[in-house]
Amino acid sequence: MADDEDFPSSSDVEEPEDADCYLSDQYDDNAENVLQYLEDGRQEDCNWSVSSVITRESLLAAQKEDLRKIMELLALSEQHARTLLIHYRWDVERIFELLDQKGKDKLFSEAGVTNLENKINHSLSSFNPFTCSICFEDVSCSVITEMECGHCYCNECWTEHFIVKINDGQSRRIRCMAPKCNAICDEAIVRSLVSARDPDIAERFERVLLESYIEDNDKVKWCPSVPHCGNAIRVMGDIYCEVECTCGMQFCFRCLSEAHSPCSCLMWELWVKKCQDESETVNWITVNTKPCPKCHKPVEKNGGCNLVACICGQAFCWLCGGATGRDHTWSTITGHSCGRFKEDRVKRIESARRELDRYMHYHNRYKAHTDSLKQESNLKETILGKIAISENKDSRIKDYSWVMNGLNRLFRSRRVLSYSYPFAFYMFGDELFKDEMTPQETDLKQNLFEDQQQQLESNVEKLSMLLESDFQEFSDEEVMENMKHVINLSSVIDRLCKQMYLCIENELLYPLQRATHNIAPYKSKGPERASEHSSRFTKATNEDIDVQHGSAVNASGSPSPAKRLSQFQPSSSSDGKHGCSSTKRAKNEGSLDTPLFDLNMPAEVVDKSWT
Amino acid sequence: MFDTSRVQKEVVEFNRDTAISGVSIALYDGAGGADLTHLCGTISGPVGTPYEGGIFVIDIQLPSGYPFEPPKMQFVTRVWHPNISSQNGAICLDILKDQWSPALTLKTALLSLQALLSTPAPDDPQDAVVAQQYLRDYRKFLGTARHWTETFAKSASVGFDEKVKKLVEMGFPEDIVRSVLEGVKGDENMALEKLCSG
Repeated sequence: MADDEDFPSSSDVEEPEDADCYLSDQYDDNAENVLQYLEDGRQEDCNWSVSSVITRESLLAAQKEDLRKIMELLALSEQHARTLLIHYRWDVERIFELLDQKGKDKLFSEAGVTNLENKINHSLSSFNPFTCSICFEDVSCSVITEMECGHCYCNECWTEHFIVKINDGQSRRIRCMAPKCNAICDEAIVRSLVSARDPDIAERFERVLLESYIEDNDKVKWCPSVPHCGNAIRVMGDIYCEVECTCGMQFCFRCLSEAHSPCSCLMWELWVKKCQDESETVNWITVNTKPCPKCHKPVEKNGGCNLVACICGQAFCWLCGGATGRDHTWSTITGHSCGRFKEDRVKRIESARRELDRYMHYHNRYKAHTDSLKQESNLKETILGKIAISENKDSRIKDYSWVMNGLNRLFRSRRVLSYSYPFAFYMFGDELFKDEMTPQETDLKQNLFEDQQQQLESNVEKLSMLLESDFQEFSDEEVMENMKHVINLSSVIDRLCKQMYLCIENELLYPLQRATHNIAPYKSKGPERASEHSSRFTKATNEDIDVQHGSAVNASGSPSPAKRLSQFQPSSSSDGKHGCSSTKRAKNEGSLDTPLFDLNMPAEVVDKSWT
Repeated sequence: MFDTSRVQKEVVEFNRDTAISGVSIALYDGAGGADLTHLCGTISGPVGTPYEGGIFVIDIQLPSGYPFEPPKMQFVTRVWHPNISSQNGAICLDILKDQWSPALTLKTALLSLQALLSTPAPDDPQDAVVAQQYLRDYRKFLGTARHWTETFAKSASVGFDEKVKKLVEMGFPEDIVRSVLEGVKGDENMALEKLCSG
């Protein structure tokens, strides 16, 4: 199947003489380039991140690793290790760092952990009878409890204190009752005293302690699915990434909204708000239809491709509304530069009107691509039907996985394209970066960006069109031809996406002086699908990785084994900078000297059909 | 839920050394009334501060979780202080919020308030206007604080009947209040002390 993610070997993706069909740049493939790419990939993964799913069942196991590290290093009991980790937000590296800076005693006392080495032992029976200084009652020494910090009160008062704190949502940090005593109460004592009075509250306490790993941890977040799937996602490395939960939810790990790269989280937030506000004034017709350039009737789009035909017979481009030829050929769209926002056309219009126009321009294109994406999802069913017919045909071509690969490429690039419009809206608008760039600079950068966006767009449309062809009725030669085109286009598009991201990261966002906008890096395979949590994580051998990898594979893709290996390597380093959300990332040094190999492409497909 | 026995013990313990501590506490309702959740505290202004000579009345509400939840305290007497609202008497003091401990008592809380009067913390203000004045023009601050003490916190400025009314509102029988107040020559503070000590 297409999803096997076989490691590409020494196969050629395309015939050299065919290459010029779609490419302006020189493009050649060989095994060396593949290796080169993998190396580049490793470099490029300075923004590496690897995600795993934590279910209710694996929540305990997931935190064991961190607990164990702290327990071993500091010779602590599990509950003390937990107290320490809760206080320092489960940041093991930070604890190690602070241990160096502050020393053990300070580290412990700030977190409310009693250093047992300093404890003075005395017998409780020496106080008999004991006057509890909370309720002022005289009680027998059998119903009093001394906390590790040495403070002693009657069990009734302790229990009442614990229950008040648990109900107040402070289960994770229940301090001793003594004034100015910072010590955190022994969780075993809390558990036993509270469960004797109210087992439900004790259970809540237990759950909150367990969920601290998610709630108090910058690297673990609940999956935002509604209704909630019960899972949380843990990300190791860069938190600016997009992940997919096992429930199928794809989201931005940073802001928990839908995956929106190459928009930054702030841009996306502003965009969503703007779209909501504007939709009240812009009615359904203007959003969903375009007037036909000939008969001026509103036309609604019902197919994936952006070449639309009105019932009057006029064909036009859905993006700009301009009349085009009727033919479904690429040449009619080639050179079609409608994605470019023409500044001069609106210069005369007053500024409010101009802003609306500007918004409409980007919104229309954003909407057009997201709508196309939805309609192309329906295409999947149709294509599966066509594949079934083709496979039963009397033909020497049996493998049609290239169609699905092409389709997946189409989905991913369509997403990138649609989110690139809100990105451009904010990048080149006045709202966010007015003081960062001179108008000349903005123009220059806008041209640079739009050039790439345009290239990507026209290739995506071509691919969309190709995939809609009725290949099940083609002769073998035509199918081969079609396949070649699809495969070529897919790799071109992947490369263009990557190029556009490099432009965004290095040319547009990196030079910003005041604002910091980090975006989730481009992933050839779409948002990373989080693997099931494995407690053997750090001890993972190659086999382990393969096992994990095998279980996580699905159609929407997960990193190839090689990519994963490279992601695992930095996990032992204590490089704190990626975890810090406010800092600017290093410049992406990924180079484009070597063409990208579409890892989506099973090697044997090409081998088989070419020989 | 509400621990009446602890509050009763606290009140008894409280007024043993009122004269020395300069703080006292009283129940609002009549002597027979059992409402221990609403109390009235008084603190005398610390010597050497613009609050010197003033008697400050504090309204104390005890939540049902007391002493495991902090008491709610508010100045009834108007006071000019960076950590106390000049509008409604709300207090910004850590032990009345997250630093409360069940081992603290009403007495320790009132003593902390007294300490707050002598050592304001203008960097963590409740009343921004007062805090600004404190930081920018300390002399003017002293003047205003002293003036407010004179105007609002000195019993001499209050008429006899008003004092009676105030003490009756605190829950003491009117005839006893009148006789006690006359005995101490109208000193409301002394009267309150006498009334509390029974």
